[in-house]
Order: sequence, then structure tokens, then C-alpha cells
Amino acid sequence: MPMVQRKQVIPGDVIATGNHRYGSYIEKRGDEYVALRIGLAEVGPDGVKLNPLTGPYLPRAEDQVIGKVVDINGFGWVVDINSCFDGFLPASFVFGREFSPATHDLSSKFKVGDVIGARIESFDRSRDPQLSIRGEGYGKFPEGEIIKMSPTKVPRLIGRRGAMVNFISERTGCDVKVGQNGVVVIVGPPEGMAKATAVVKMIDQGTHGADLMGKVEEYLGGSSVAGA
Amino acid sequence: MSMKKNYVVETIRKAQMLELLNRGKRVDERALDQHREITVQTGVIQKANGSAIVTLGDSQVLAGVKIATGAPFPDTPDKGLLVVNAEILPLASPYAEPGPPSEEAIELARVVDRGIRESEMVDLHKLCIVEGKTVYTVFVDVNIMNVDGNLFDATSYAVVCALRTAKMKKYAIENDKVVMKDEETPVPVEKTPVSVTLARFGDKLVVDPNGEEEGAMDMRITITTDDDGNVCASQKGEASTITPAQVLEAADTSIRIGREIRAQLVEATKS
Repeated sequence: MPMVQRKQVIPGDVIATGNHRYGSYIEKRGDEYVALRIGLAEVGPDGVKLNPLTGPYLPRAEDQVIGKVVDINGFGWVVDINSCFDGFLPASFVFGREFSPATHDLSSKFKVGDVIGARIESFDRSRDPQLSIRGEGYGKFPEGEIIKMSPTKVPRLIGRRGAMVNFISERTGCDVKVGQNGVVVIVGPPEGMAKATAVVKMIDQGTHGADLMGKVEEYLGGSSVAGA
Repeated sequence: MSMKKNYVVETIRKAQMLELLNRGKRVDERALDQHREITVQTGVIQKANGSAIVTLGDSQVLAGVKIATGAPFPDTPDKGLLVVNAEILPLASPYAEPGPPSEEAIELARVVDRGIRESEMVDLHKLCIVEGKTVYTVFVDVNIMNVDGNLFDATSYAVVCALRTAKMKKYAIENDKVVMKDEETPVPVEKTPVSVTLARFGDKLVVDPNGEEEGAMDMRITITTDDDGNVCASQKGEASTITPAQVLEAADTSIRIGREIRAQLVEATKS
């Protein structure tokens, strides 16, 4: 297996030289690849990548996000997705092709203040990201506790193939829904919710290096609500 | 990009808030009658006659006092001028826009001004130099630097602290002309009004609502009290109503909490 080199970089650091493919938050100057954010840089067979440690959520197509409805207009819902861009959920994606502003009442489906899970359908930076709720698990969340965390820490909360989030769910007996945009909704028994909330906040604040799982396990300890 | 008008509190967050309130708790773990931490820094602007930065939780307010001389209003020839003006900086909140002061900023300035004026904090008679001709004019300009709810109280504290530490030039009358001297004297401050804002959620009243609570509250009431526990000004906001019993409860809370806050403001502005 080819080696992937990781190193911490600050804006202005040269990550690599030569000819590579490169991702977001990296600028090519001459044949130098320069970091634009504080983060962990990776040089591997897939090219040069930079995972920023801080920063806002930048929408990407196919991301699963959790947002709140902040406005309704004639054609759909404006959704705050914890980003510098507002998401837009077109009414025709919800009511179907026969949608007409005259016959359909948008607020009967989602009201201002409702929290919804959605998928980013498309986003190209020239227009607000378009959302869709087609598919399993999307739509309104009727209850639960809402927490906002740094979007850059979301991968840590999810863990490898969802290991972390599944572990938290299992130990606290709560359903933990994580949006790629750093919004988390937790539903479950009150004492489990308090624990799950604390863990999410811990992961958000922590600069833990390795073995985050161990620390979470230690925190949740034997006091498993689910009886695991 | 759509224009954001106001902070929208998530429905499920509001439900959680109300649920907590029924158990006597708040989202930020304060007691119902507990205000957020207040910090005061005075003398922050060198060129102003007095200034203060006050933080109330994450709300941050800068007040500056400028004192000059001018003509009095014709109906109060023996009183100085005191004007409070407020502006919310666009950087203070995602919902603030540049331009002339918004409706909220005008209400804010007026409510704070009323508290200062009606408590007779500054003895305006002592600001009179030549009756009908020359008086001291005191302009208090407020800039909101960060918005996280309850700007009324944060602004009021900033204005009170700026005025308590403000100094004005002494004057002399030479050949029937008012001449300003280099010596300075404090502004004639007689009292320390303290404004306390309460938000109503159902039948619960909470002191010092933060930004999130302001987004979800039914109504708010701001009550300003003076050193002797007299209510000298009040303002009700938002569309919902309040019962007479709740007004009395709010006044009692305001007097009680006001005492603690007054002590802190006086301590922070001791010369």
C-alpha cells in the first residue's frame, strides 16, 4: 500500500511540489502547492489534499445536511444550512411535478422554524445550493435536541464507516442524526440525550489526537442506557 | 441570496426551551432570575469625555460621551442637554445592515435615554451655564459591537458607566462671555439607574434573555429602577400581552436584581 504522508500546515505552507492533482483549500503557485487553511495536508497517490481544522461549511452535492426553514416563498423553502449559503428546497421536489403555488400550501408541509434533514442536490457557487428531501430519512424532525458543531469535526463524530456515531447511539439509546454541515439532532430518553449531547460537544471542542474512540468509551463508560 | 430578517429559533429548540423552563431551567443553565456575566471597561476612548465598553454575556456595547456647550431648548432654558443615540454596527450581527439606525436601534436609544432621563441620573440643572443662552450639551453615542440579546440592558449599563466616568471642562465667565478652562470636573451624576429586561414565556418570566431566548419569547418588558428602588421607566415589547400581576412581579425582580447590578456598576466606575 502506498504511503500517505500527513502533516500539519498553516496558510502559506508549501505542501508539495511537482505535478499532482489537488483539492480544495490548496492553491498552485508555479509548481508549488500552497495551503490556504490551517489543517492536515495529505500527499498520496490521489494527489494533494487538505483537511481544514476550522472553517465554515461549504456545501457539496450529495452531502446530507440538517437545516432549519427560515423563510417560505412562492416556490419553495429557504433553509439555513449553517453555511454562508442558504439552501433552497423547491416545492416541486416535495409536492411533485403537479405543484402549483395556487393549489398547494407550502406551510402545511414545513413551517418557518422546522428542522429538516435534506440532501444537497446541486451546488455550483453561482446559485444557492438546491436541496432535496427525496429518499429515506429525510424530511422534518419533529422532536429532539439540536446541537451545532464545527463542520470540520463532523468526520470525527461519524468515525470510520459510522463507527463513532453508532457507538454513541448504542451506548446512550439515542438516535443521533448528523448533518455534514455540523448540525446534529439527538432524539431519545432524557438521560441518554444529556450524555450524547456532552459527547458531541466534547468531540467538537476536543483537539484529541489519536484514540478519540477510547476517550468517548471512557466517558460513556459502563453507564449504558441501552444496556449494552 | 435571501435577506435574513430575524433570527429564527428552531421549533424543536423552542419546545426544548419551554420544557426546560417548566422545570425551572434555561438553555444556558442560568436560573430564571440570573443575568449573564457583566464586564465593564471604562476610559476606552481617549478623545471622548467618557466612555465604556460593557459586555453582557456575548452582547457587547461601546458608549462614548461627548460634552460641548450649546443653546438650551426654549422650553427648558435652565437645563442642559442630554441625548442618547444608538447604532448597531453591521459587523455586530448577521441581521444588522449598514445605513441609518434601524427601528430597533431607535427604540433601543429611546428606552435607554428614558431610563437615564427619568431617573434624573444627571442633574440637568447643574449643566446650565447661562440661563437661556449657554448650557452643557451631553451627547452619548452608543455602538453595538456584538448582538446576543438584551441590548437594552447592555446599552443602559454602558451609558451609565460612560456617564459616571465622564469629565467635562470647567467654565468661567469673562466679559459676559463663557470661556472654557482646562480644568475638568465630573458630570453631575446623582443616581445610578439600572435597567433590567425580562422576557415572558407563557407564565414564566426570565431575566436577561439571550439572543436565542429573544427569538422565542412571547414578549419582553424593560424596567429601570433607581438607587432607592423606585421604578422610573419601563417599556414593553413584542406583540404579546402581560398580566398586571406579572408586571408587578417583573418590577419586584427588576428592583432586586437591579440592586446587585448597581453595586457592580458603581464598583467598576469608582474614581
